[in-house]
Amino acid sequence: MQSFLEIFDIYLLEAVINGILFGGVLALLALGLNLIFGVIDVTWICYAELVMIGMYGMYYLVSVFHVSYWIAAPLCILLVAGMGALLHILVIQPLLSAPPINQLLATGGVLFFLQSLATVAFGIDFRNLGIQLPVLALGEMHFSYSRLLSFAAALVGMVAVYVFMKRSYTGIAIRAIAQDRQIMALMGVDARRIYIVTSALGGALAGLAACLLVLQYDVHPFVGLSFGPITFLICVLGGLGNFVGGFVASFVFAEIISLGGLFSDLEWGYVLAFGFFILMMFVRPGGLLARRQ
Amino acid sequence: MRMGGLGRAFAGALAMGAALGLAMAAQAQDKKFKIGVIFDLTGPLAGGGSELQYLGVKIMNDYFIKQGPIEGYTIEAVYADAQSKPDIAINEAVRLMEQEKVDMVAGIYSSAQCVPIASRVEQAKKFLWLTTCISTGVVEDKHYKYVFRPQASGQQYGLTTTDMVANIAKPNFGKEPKDMRVAIIHEDGAYGVDVARGNEMGAKKAGMNIVLKEGYSATAPDLSALVTKLKRARPDVVFHTGYNPDISLLLRQSREQGFKTGGIIGQGAGYGVYEKLADSLGGHAQYFFNTDPVSIWLANPKAIDPKLQPIVKMVGEEFDKAKPGQTIRSAHVGIGASNMYVFFTQVLPVAIKKYGGVDAEALRKAALDVDIPEGGTMLGFGVKFAPTESPIAGQNERSYPVVIQYVDDKPYVVWPKSLAQRDVVLPWPAGMTYSYK
Repeated sequence: MQSFLEIFDIYLLEAVINGILFGGVLALLALGLNLIFGVIDVTWICYAELVMIGMYGMYYLVSVFHVSYWIAAPLCILLVAGMGALLHILVIQPLLSAPPINQLLATGGVLFFLQSLATVAFGIDFRNLGIQLPVLALGEMHFSYSRLLSFAAALVGMVAVYVFMKRSYTGIAIRAIAQDRQIMALMGVDARRIYIVTSALGGALAGLAACLLVLQYDVHPFVGLSFGPITFLICVLGGLGNFVGGFVASFVFAEIISLGGLFSDLEWGYVLAFGFFILMMFVRPGGLLARRQ
Repeated sequence: MRMGGLGRAFAGALAMGAALGLAMAAQAQDKKFKIGVIFDLTGPLAGGGSELQYLGVKIMNDYFIKQGPIEGYTIEAVYADAQSKPDIAINEAVRLMEQEKVDMVAGIYSSAQCVPIASRVEQAKKFLWLTTCISTGVVEDKHYKYVFRPQASGQQYGLTTTDMVANIAKPNFGKEPKDMRVAIIHEDGAYGVDVARGNEMGAKKAGMNIVLKEGYSATAPDLSALVTKLKRARPDVVFHTGYNPDISLLLRQSREQGFKTGGIIGQGAGYGVYEKLADSLGGHAQYFFNTDPVSIWLANPKAIDPKLQPIVKMVGEEFDKAKPGQTIRSAHVGIGASNMYVFFTQVLPVAIKKYGGVDAEALRKAALDVDIPEGGTMLGFGVKFAPTESPIAGQNERSYPVVIQYVDDKPYVVWPKSLAQRDVVLPWPAGMTYSYK
């Protein structure tokens, strides 16, 4: 009994809080992907690769061209937003009426294209900004400011997207077009423009994630492999297109990984998280916050 | 002037002889020895050390291609990119053997690729020369006939590291080995698991207290739970085996979570790429360790065959041309280069001259004949392969790694004691980010 109680120490609390902070990173990544799927009904398999390009943008601006981080960040957000719009115009738009598998394969192709392009353009080296943010120490517990920043950005991003979708004309049009793609065109909404705006917004969120992830991870052409699959699973777990669901799923997933990894092997944390995902696909196939059908 | 019958016969014979000579010369020129080289040139493993190993192998291949035919055989090399994926590596090995018709396969960085490739190449009865991957599982209890590895094994890495810590426990930590708290953490592929097994065997043998032993995926996006467990375990020393970017992530999260210890001892792969290691630590990797075969530029020149010095110099010059401005010449390059040099000078000529060709059987017999004493390779160790009936058939029984410590941006051999260039700085001094002092 005593050995059982020994696990309830300060480190358990640290793991819980680190789980929440990691959840913030995942939530930030899931936000843009969810937006795209919810509106355009297309899954950008290459979403994490857009983040990777944004991270390279940050690296070159800050470390090579010595641009201030705070100036580089909005530039990168704009860059990835532009890439998101371009992705829609060049790849998605011609395939909008094609079977979903074609769209999936096309964005999968973009994934490999971007990875290869980055390998050729930037090389295989691991790069980092060299910025070491301070650490928040609370007794025996220590927390990274870069993670706290990601958590805050995810929270603000989530609220901002929510308000934008609920209050602005474009947001309402985006939601309307997500409900019925055909009928909105008859009501005078320029569906093409809305799609491009949404794609740019999704790209901007990927850019925002890139600006914060570059403080925590090395940049290399394959950095997307660490995040792409997990982000996609979180969006599905939360219900594709459901922002709040994706947000909640990020924290649930991160806590399972963190606490599972603390009480057992780290790998078991991931096994438990993926096991939970499979179970939920049977119990709540529409996502964690979907209404029971 | 008319030529007589005898003269015509003589001229005819001369012409025939010349034609035959030309034909033979042409045949000799046609003799090719084709090597298929597999490394990861893209994907996460490329920057973790694989590309540097490739560079070492390529420098040596190019050197021998430039030198001209070996015993009448022209050398040709074909390079394949495994893309950091075992399935691609296997496909490339099969392609090299079946389509490119290579006479042998060489290279391979990742142990996760080595294990299945060794099995496929053996099935195809081709010759495999493993320059780099270290997992003991590649050869252990396999009794392969055509798989040879001059490189040290993963368990040797683990044992060398623990041997150092066990020996310095009392003088440096003021503790008996049995009072030392050690943590073993590793990436969960064949490489990390094998080195960790060596760590565990060595730690248990020395009676050390293993407070944590855990594997993780090299592509895991978060290692904070592992760092929390390390904090809870409070080890005196951490034995770490990883690729990259997991090493960077672990060190970054360790710093952010305030993990303190006596020292972190890295074992190969990402710890052998000093520039990247230093970069991830904010510019310097002061007092960090790496267990690996000695860098050919660090090996004691007096203990190495003097004939090898011009080759060491040549490899260094080629490295500088390929990677200008590097603080430290990577040990990875020397490993690839030295192990290929052994093949070109000790195996291939013997296979052709003594065993009549370059087929797998001739190469195998020649490899088993190799008997290089200590000091006979650029890496310092000798070469003698375990015979087929041995549980580690094909493994070089004379290879060993050393422990290197980075001090003021320079690498120094600190273990084994007989090769040490300076004393071990462990536990890490006060003031270091990770030091518990």
